[in-house]
Amino acid sequence: MKLTARDIMTTKFHTLAPQTPLNEAVKLFKQASKEEGRKIFGMMVTDHEDHLVGMISMYDILLVLRPKHTHIWGLMEDIDVAGIVDISCEKTKSVLVGDIMTPEVITITSQSHVLMILDIMIKKHVRRLPVLENGKIIGIVYISDLFYNILDRFAD
Amino acid sequence: MAKSDKNTLSGLVVSQAMRHQVIQLLKETSIANSINALIKYKVNALLTTDQSGKPAGVLSKTDIMGAYYAGLPIESPIEDIMSKPPLFCHPEDALDKALRIMHSQGVYRLYVVDSENKNVVGALAYPDIVGLLYKYCHDCEYSHIRQKNKSMPDSIQRFFVKEIMTSEVKSVLEDASLLQVMEELSAYRFGAILVKNRENNPCGVISKTDLALAYKHEVDSGAQAATIMSSPVQSCSADELLEDAIRKMIFSDVHRLFVYQSQPMALVGVISLSDAARIRSGSCHACVSSRIKLETE
Repeated sequence: MKLTARDIMTTKFHTLAPQTPLNEAVKLFKQASKEEGRKIFGMMVTDHEDHLVGMISMYDILLVLRPKHTHIWGLMEDIDVAGIVDISCEKTKSVLVGDIMTPEVITITSQSHVLMILDIMIKKHVRRLPVLENGKIIGIVYISDLFYNILDRFAD
Repeated sequence: MAKSDKNTLSGLVVSQAMRHQVIQLLKETSIANSINALIKYKVNALLTTDQSGKPAGVLSKTDIMGAYYAGLPIESPIEDIMSKPPLFCHPEDALDKALRIMHSQGVYRLYVVDSENKNVVGALAYPDIVGLLYKYCHDCEYSHIRQKNKSMPDSIQRFFVKEIMTSEVKSVLEDASLLQVMEELSAYRFGAILVKNRENNPCGVISKTDLALAYKHEVDSGAQAATIMSSPVQSCSADELLEDAIRKMIFSDVHRLFVYQSQPMALVGVISLSDAARIRSGSCHACVSSRIKLETE
């Protein structure tokens, strides 16, 4: 079994800038998924010096696009869902990645033990952890990689 | 209680209208990071706590606007600008009582603590009460939305936008500075202000959310209103039914509509979700006078 973050992290990753508008970010999510050959649900956000300044996930973007009173819709038979989504997108036009990213990010180092990574992911409800060395991003650990690393022996 | 005092909210308690998700941040959080939470969760205010999780204050978009106006560094901690102490109510309190507290204290939000161990279990905000009213109205057999599909004659006396609206429209010119915009907003306690162009026609709206984003994006507070306003102006007719106006606000996710009388460029008033909550009834007189048919556990 592989033991540390270094063994299971992905070194091929994409990042976003805080100044990127959300509609652009959606395109970049798609592009990153294509280039990395896996579905990307969250990305690291870096400043112009490549320092990590936050994380943004699809969930964050969906939160902003969700109209405030969604709970009332269940009652509606006659709503125009496409119309509501259009209004939401229009209203979100001025929002940038930096406005909704999670600015306080938990990070690990290449030496972090897989069981510690598992513990952090469970306790903090995160599915991806940036791996930093001397303040520089060297990779990212996804929950799926951790899952298969720990549990492949189950399947064998 | 005298029958005439009854309204749609009679008999309802706080726990039926509150939100269980309470957005809270440590009071040491920077203003910049707190704006992220306000934008992401679409709330007008959030609860601030100390390190032990104890409520310390409330941070609203109005406080953020004050910091922007004063030119405070955006990295300052929110405890420097938050309002304190937070105001509370209990899950079993009557909704009417909670609304009275909000009114007398001049706030739009109360935090809900359980009576036993004083944990924060929810937040009660004005717009959520309107949401609840809308739900009841929609389900009501006298609902105008239901009756649209029937050929029944409509004998219920309904509220119209013109009866509820505030008939004063404050506006700024599109080349006014953001500082002037903020002065107007704080002087009149509005959540948003209309922007007019040189021809005196409405061309946009600036809300406190737009200002919080401008602060975050480091827009100079001397910049012109036109650079950050949202357009077009969301509006409705004064002769529209309140029910339809509320529906429009809920569905377009706005807190207010500007009201026109004869033609869309001539605005005569503003109607907000808060105005709708203030009259404490659904959208027609059916609730007020006769029928209180709400299940109250």
